[in-house]
Amino acid sequence: MTDLLANLALGFSVAANPYNIGFCLLGTLVGTLVGVLPGIGTVATVAMLLPITFGLPPIGALIMLAGIYYGAQYGGSTTSILVNIPGEATSVVTCLDGHQMARQGRAGAALSISAIGSFFAGCVATVLVAALGVPLTSLALLFGPAEYFSLMVLGLIFAVVLAKGSVLKAIAMILMGLLLSMVGSDLETGAGRMTFDIPELSDGIGFTNVAMGLFGFAEIIRNLEMSQESRNIVNAKISGLMPTRQDLIDSSGAIVRGTILGSILGILPGGGAVVASFAAYTFEKRVSKHPERFGRGAIQGVAAPESANNAAAQTSFIPLLTLGIPPNAVMALMVGAMTIHGIVPGPQVMTKQPELFWGMIASMWLGNLMLVIINLPLVGVWVTLLRVPYRLLYPSIIVFCCIGIYSINNSPTDVVIAAIFGLVGYWLVKHDFEPAPLVLAFVLGPLMEENLRRAMLIARGDVTVFATRPISAGLLAVAILLLVLAALPAIRKRRDEVFVESKN
Amino acid sequence: MSGEAKPSHKGGGFQLKVRGPREFYGGLALIALAIIAILASSELPGQHGFAFGPGTAPRMFATMLAVAGALVVLMGLLIDGPPVESFAIRGPSYVLVAILLFAGMIRGIDLNMIGLPFKIPSLGMVVSTFTAFIISIMGSSEMRWVESLIAAMVMTAFCVALFVYLLGLPFQLWPAF
Repeated sequence: MTDLLANLALGFSVAANPYNIGFCLLGTLVGTLVGVLPGIGTVATVAMLLPITFGLPPIGALIMLAGIYYGAQYGGSTTSILVNIPGEATSVVTCLDGHQMARQGRAGAALSISAIGSFFAGCVATVLVAALGVPLTSLALLFGPAEYFSLMVLGLIFAVVLAKGSVLKAIAMILMGLLLSMVGSDLETGAGRMTFDIPELSDGIGFTNVAMGLFGFAEIIRNLEMSQESRNIVNAKISGLMPTRQDLIDSSGAIVRGTILGSILGILPGGGAVVASFAAYTFEKRVSKHPERFGRGAIQGVAAPESANNAAAQTSFIPLLTLGIPPNAVMALMVGAMTIHGIVPGPQVMTKQPELFWGMIASMWLGNLMLVIINLPLVGVWVTLLRVPYRLLYPSIIVFCCIGIYSINNSPTDVVIAAIFGLVGYWLVKHDFEPAPLVLAFVLGPLMEENLRRAMLIARGDVTVFATRPISAGLLAVAILLLVLAALPAIRKRRDEVFVESKN
Repeated sequence: MSGEAKPSHKGGGFQLKVRGPREFYGGLALIALAIIAILASSELPGQHGFAFGPGTAPRMFATMLAVAGALVVLMGLLIDGPPVESFAIRGPSYVLVAILLFAGMIRGIDLNMIGLPFKIPSLGMVVSTFTAFIISIMGSSEMRWVESLIAAMVMTAFCVALFVYLLGLPFQLWPAF
């Protein structure tokens, strides 16, 4: 406990450095800004803004990127409540009750409850990250290649189970991601693999190109074909930001439940904020004494998902920082960012660079505080931004993405690759394939192959090594169990229900 | 393979036809991708002794992808699903052309390598950004010229200010012939 306090103190001393506070502020503001704007998701945002952080010191860069991530969660809710268009996938369910509240003239209460819920969740998650960091890191030191491989298999299976739609198709996406990640030079022999003699491919396909293509360009192409529905912004002046005492009492349970659910789902690989918000809403509706109020402006329907997505956004840093394994696509981008700054994510970050580890954790708490203090008064500004029509917004996003991709390696080829993945992403959406598992597998691919090869070499070609080492066997058993459960009809129905909620 | 409605003799006379086209064609494409990957990695040395060769993992995952693709195709044959939505052509084409033009113009490109007798000179960031903005905005059905030109200029200025002046990235701003 004293260790924890000492560590947190170190963290706060790093985070309170004026520069780092500045980066944190900038990150949360930019994150909120992009979160508010519909039509561009968190993954694309982080990918887009990655180049901007190259010139910063490592701590500042990571603090800013983390700020962008949870700022976007927060910003998404503003759009959901006021315009009924989710700014982010994580705020889809917030629309259901949030916008109803706004129509009843309670936009202020909805916004502030979502802020309070997010802040509470952020506080709990920060403590959780700090508390779980040390034990999980020591666990990670017991891991050999076989365990790492099994852990990544488990992570990918989680991504399959938590993905929307068919389990089989999600598995296919995982395999496609793994295959794509093998393009380029072989790690051990340097042999060019599946490069088709194109020199630009010998380094492999850049992760940011894939992410920007699948999430940035593909989303824009997809949005373009939808009719440009007029946005009915709630024009009434937002008065009474403070929730009433009754609102607080009504939502306190939902906030706590959402936070717990979100924290758990965030740690699990493959999960993250989107699933957390859906699950929290469904759960809240189920435990409520008045489920009929949901969808008609129930404050719990705002409090639970907003707390959950914020908690999940933060706890998803746990596997990344302790085990070095990104649990979702945004964390995969964080791996990219860390690698660019010469940091290898994993258990050694905490021991070798404690100021980075704890500084980042402390900055999350500060960032959450900033979101509450700064954003509530700024609601009016964000709403004004929504009046920028989409026809002007999307060319700006495209241009910005192009320059961002180009700036990473000064390579026009990267821009072309991203464009190709934009088309691939468009095709995937049309055929009901989820791009998220693909991206996760794409990042884990090289790590997985490396550990698989090492494990096989150490075990002298004995495949049973994965089943005879206890930790590895346990992880694989959980993976198989999950897959079986997901395939069972009863569970599948329940799982579909969670996702269907968004369409109602 | 064929999606024709042929009566099948297995399973007591149910019809073998494409019930879920999204799955059917999606699965076929995955199989095609897997076959390409297997062909592309067929020359790589495989496993020798205990050690994986560079070709082992790609072939392994490609084979698994082919199997998964086949199962998805099967799903498309057995389970009813919605039809594949039609692909929009206009919007995506403009966006694609804009992105490709940006890539070609920023450093210049000799199109001889794809058989065209053109050479795009190195036009620099200002021209490429402005052009990419205008082309991509033309993909919208609600485009208005004056507004678009102003927005393109503002966005170009913003990007130059951010990337070149604030972030200090070494971009070539103006055309160089």
